[in-house]
Amino acid sequence: MVEERRILYEHLDVPDINTFDVFRQYDGYTRFEKAITEYQPEDIAKMVMDSGLKGRGGAGFSTGLKWSFVPRDIKPCYLCCNADESEPGTFSNRYVLEKNPHLLIEGILICCYAMGIETTYVYIRGEFTLGKKMLDAAIKEAYEKGYLGKDIRGTGLNIDIYTHPGAGAYICGEETGLIESLEGKRGQPRNKPPFPAVEGVFGKPTVVQNVETLCNLPFIVGNGVEWYTQMGPTYADTRANPPTPDPNTGTKLYCISGDVNEPGVYELDLGLTCSELIEVAGGLRGEEVKAVIPGGSSAPILTHYELDTRLDFTSLTLAKSMLGSGGIIVMNETRNIVDCLLNIMKFYAHESCGQCTPCRWGTPWVRDIVQRIADGDGRKSTMTRPKFGVAENGRWGDTGETEEIYEDLDLLESVANNIANVDTMTWNTICVFGIAVSWPAVSYLRKFRPEFEAAIREGKLVTLPVAEATVPPEENYAYQQRFIPKEFADL
Amino acid sequence: MAFVKLNDLEIEVEDGTNVVEAAREHGIEVPHYCYHPGLSRPANCRMCLVEPHVFFPPAGAIVPDRQLATGCTTVLRTAPPDRKLDGKYDFIVRTDSERVKKARADILEFLLVHHPLDCPVCDQAGECDLQDYSHRHGHDKSRYLEVKNVPPKKDLGPDVLLYATRCVVCTRCIRFADEVSGTGELGLVHRGSHDEIDIPRSHEGVPLQVLDNKLAGNVVDICPVGALISKDFLFKSRPWFLEKANSVCSGCSVGCNITVEYKADGVYRLKPRFHEDINQHWICDDGRLGYHYVNSDDRLQLPLKRVDDALTPTHWADALATITEKLSDIETEDIVVIGSAQGTNEDNYVLQQFAHDVLKTTQLGLFGQLPGEAHKFPQFTIEADKNPNTAGARTILGSANGNTVLEGDALWEKVSSAKVVYLVSGAPERPLEDAEKAALESVDFLVVQDVLPSEVTQFADVVLPGTTFAEKDGTFTNSTGWVQRIRKTIDPPGEARVDWEITQQLAKQLGGEMNYHFAGEIALEIAENVPGYADATHQKIGDAGIKLADSDQ
Ligand SMILES: Cc1cc2nc3c(=O)[nH]c(=O)nc-3n(C[C@H](O)[C@H](O)[C@H](O)COP(=O)(O)O)c2cc1C
Ligand code: SF4
Ligand code: SF4
Ligand code: SF4
Ligand code: FES
Repeated sequence: MVEERRILYEHLDVPDINTFDVFRQYDGYTRFEKAITEYQPEDIAKMVMDSGLKGRGGAGFSTGLKWSFVPRDIKPCYLCCNADESEPGTFSNRYVLEKNPHLLIEGILICCYAMGIETTYVYIRGEFTLGKKMLDAAIKEAYEKGYLGKDIRGTGLNIDIYTHPGAGAYICGEETGLIESLEGKRGQPRNKPPFPAVEGVFGKPTVVQNVETLCNLPFIVGNGVEWYTQMGPTYADTRANPPTPDPNTGTKLYCISGDVNEPGVYELDLGLTCSELIEVAGGLRGEEVKAVIPGGSSAPILTHYELDTRLDFTSLTLAKSMLGSGGIIVMNETRNIVDCLLNIMKFYAHESCGQCTPCRWGTPWVRDIVQRIADGDGRKSTMTRPKFGVAENGRWGDTGETEEIYEDLDLLESVANNIANVDTMTWNTICVFGIAVSWPAVSYLRKFRPEFEAAIREGKLVTLPVAEATVPPEENYAYQQRFIPKEFADL
Repeated sequence: MAFVKLNDLEIEVEDGTNVVEAAREHGIEVPHYCYHPGLSRPANCRMCLVEPHVFFPPAGAIVPDRQLATGCTTVLRTAPPDRKLDGKYDFIVRTDSERVKKARADILEFLLVHHPLDCPVCDQAGECDLQDYSHRHGHDKSRYLEVKNVPPKKDLGPDVLLYATRCVVCTRCIRFADEVSGTGELGLVHRGSHDEIDIPRSHEGVPLQVLDNKLAGNVVDICPVGALISKDFLFKSRPWFLEKANSVCSGCSVGCNITVEYKADGVYRLKPRFHEDINQHWICDDGRLGYHYVNSDDRLQLPLKRVDDALTPTHWADALATITEKLSDIETEDIVVIGSAQGTNEDNYVLQQFAHDVLKTTQLGLFGQLPGEAHKFPQFTIEADKNPNTAGARTILGSANGNTVLEGDALWEKVSSAKVVYLVSGAPERPLEDAEKAALESVDFLVVQDVLPSEVTQFADVVLPGTTFAEKDGTFTNSTGWVQRIRKTIDPPGEARVDWEITQQLAKQLGGEMNYHFAGEIALEIAENVPGYADATHQKIGDAGIKLADSDQ
């Protein structure tokens, strides 16, 4: 049985940990003090780079690498803490804000010290009223105790934190949408490049970091890189010569919801498999796993064939999915995948910022097609066509069989791929919201095609038994590369 | 200069040019909506996708980049020597690959899903980027079966209507109001597929501010589709029935470049024409909507002569005879000849010659529209001088030896003591101030050459019907010394005649030797005789105008 490893969440349930004094009893701010007394800013940046810390907000981009892109000679430089947490299925940042806000402040302080930043904006999801209240109170305390403000603890460091509530838009979690919103504009993502690291808030270099990412910093500084890198797998990317390490270090706050007996946030080492995770969360509620969303609603879905997939950045990328925000939604045999996709597409159609053409008009179109299929009005042609799949020679091609033509399924896949193409991983949109739309749409359809076909055939939603509903991996190129290919091996 | 491989062409482009412009210069169309050369570049329509090529080290070859790029924001620059592609190119880009073609067609499909396609009743049809690009780059059928959004039609301001269903949300109009006029009346309301352009409104929908600034009409021009529509032009004509002529606005001394769009029966609209140093892409609404007097039913169509205290129509021979009779037995110092800042350089040159050579008077005056208000916008200025040719008329009237050109009070003082005044106006709806009225009233014999009945013509003894900027060829000199051409579009109404022709006729009748056939001929003579105008021949001016040599103060 896998054990939780609580680091970020270790003291979450200590009474009054949200107050300075109690936080202080549990090593609060000592890591920051260690940072400023024992290390130079560059040392901290190097430690973060060596720790292999990857951003926990969604993209999983190496934090150390991101910091290295920030030009050191342009001031002011800003830190933006992304506390907009609005990816469906994700709720880990919220507990940090509500229960242990001083930990975030300490993380912010360390980042500011390392990057020479004097001003931090924490962009908090508008609905997190309690979280904002707790953080504001903690910030006030930190000012009073001299851990924020001018000349912090006599070191000459000046650091200010401002909190800014969002107004209920998912897209303001995207880093440049966040920055626009913070600047008082409509929350619409910017064209990149320039990336925020070079030109962010008010046109200045800006580090955008998720709450969870920042909360890792005190522990990296406090316990050292070696301790940190022991947690989670580090792969070797053998495509490079010599192989380069591909770290998936640290713990992750997995938010498990759906058909499990004990849903909630679990802090576990990166690299556990899907099945292990379901066990940690009290086991499956129901008979069988039908599907698992591994990284928030934007992530391509996993089928019961893929439960041995490790839930870390590299493995999920190779499985053509992503760890994203770590929002894991488990579905049992009673769930209908068409209905599930409809639910998700309603969300995206509502949340598209509307700035760029493919997403503005493509996303509601996808939703409407799924709606039509769910309503039983999906179209099917009376004609057939050659079936493509794994042919006799073992390659992808004409199988010699024929298949029925479901016009609306072709349309659905085509429209979704025109927003962002999941096969080539290219998009014609401004931000990757586009791919967050087509990823679920195309993966649900390809992996659970029988259920879509049944809805069209029967004229209503039909929930098939798991085995029938799922397309086996060998028949579907949506799965290709499912298993960690030879190029990647455990270090 | 950057050396660029564009499709199969090898071209040199100015550093900083974007792919859309570089391609346009070489006759290659990169379709685009949100990009406008006079505005910022949000790259939101995604119509201009092109395929940059990059060096891919593992393959050791130049390959198409993984992602397509937006041509509007892909800027071409000289690469450092070690970064040249193929050893010589600063950039390699294709606008015609299959990938690009597919992306374009896909974007157009998205643009059309909610579009009403009401081209048969849409004002933009015929000059619509959505029609044109769909035709050239789009799919040939629709796959959209769902319900279309139908946002309401909105009245945004005095001259602008929004047919919101046709909007492609390119935000050009918003950016114009933010960046060029600086008035910021426009914005987006709602989100996603419900995005709508609107003015600020209360919760009940009552406008809190309307699109009412002097540059508002430009949003109609830059709207790439039929979403923003000018009420002035609405349902008047299909654009393909309109003839077009390059001209210059006569609304003020800025001298904005325009295109006059007309049919045989009148002028239909004025549109701005790009001039880098004068008006960029824009014109103001005073100029844009100021053409209506040209088409007016009240236009003077026949010469008038005072009979029993009333102005009555007569024929040209009679009108001219009446004037020559009066002029032949009058002392030179009792005559004042007044030119017009509304007239062309050619009109004023002939008038000046008439005064100097035939009437032998050196007393000239300059008349024109009263000064109005100046307006300054972040990227545009409207001047207070509401005449297009004050600078030119002043110089040219005064160009002969000994001429004095009186203006303002000095002029009216002179007029008060004159017996015969020949006043060329051409300023529509010119109100008279008291001093001006008194002066004109005291003149024994007043000849007024004008386009509309006005306060000026009411004092006249003879009225000669002249022409507007739309009915003649010639040149105007703007306040910054640009000499630019206007062109004849429609015929003058009735028996109205081009102003310099009228003057020439009078001169001939008084024995003068004047025999010009067309305005360009006069311009040649101006070039010879008027200092600074040596290059201002119609050929050299062309469509771009020329700047007077000594006007760079
Ligand atoms: C549509 C969209 C929504 C996002 N929402 C969030 C969010 O709610 N919270 C978050 O931390 N990151 C979100 N991200 C990721 C951010 O853009 C960014 O990558 C992240 O904040 C960087 O921080 P990290 O490197 O610490 O993960 C979102 C990205 C996209 C494209
Ligand atoms: S992809 Fe969607 S969310 Fe992103 S900028 Fe475009 S319209 Fe907005
Ligand atoms: S905007 Fe263009 S495509 Fe649309 S109705 Fe008008 S003319 Fe047709
Ligand atoms: S009204 Fe016209 S200019 Fe304005 S956003 Fe719509 S299409 Fe663009
Ligand atoms: S013109 Fe380039 S994206 Fe709109």
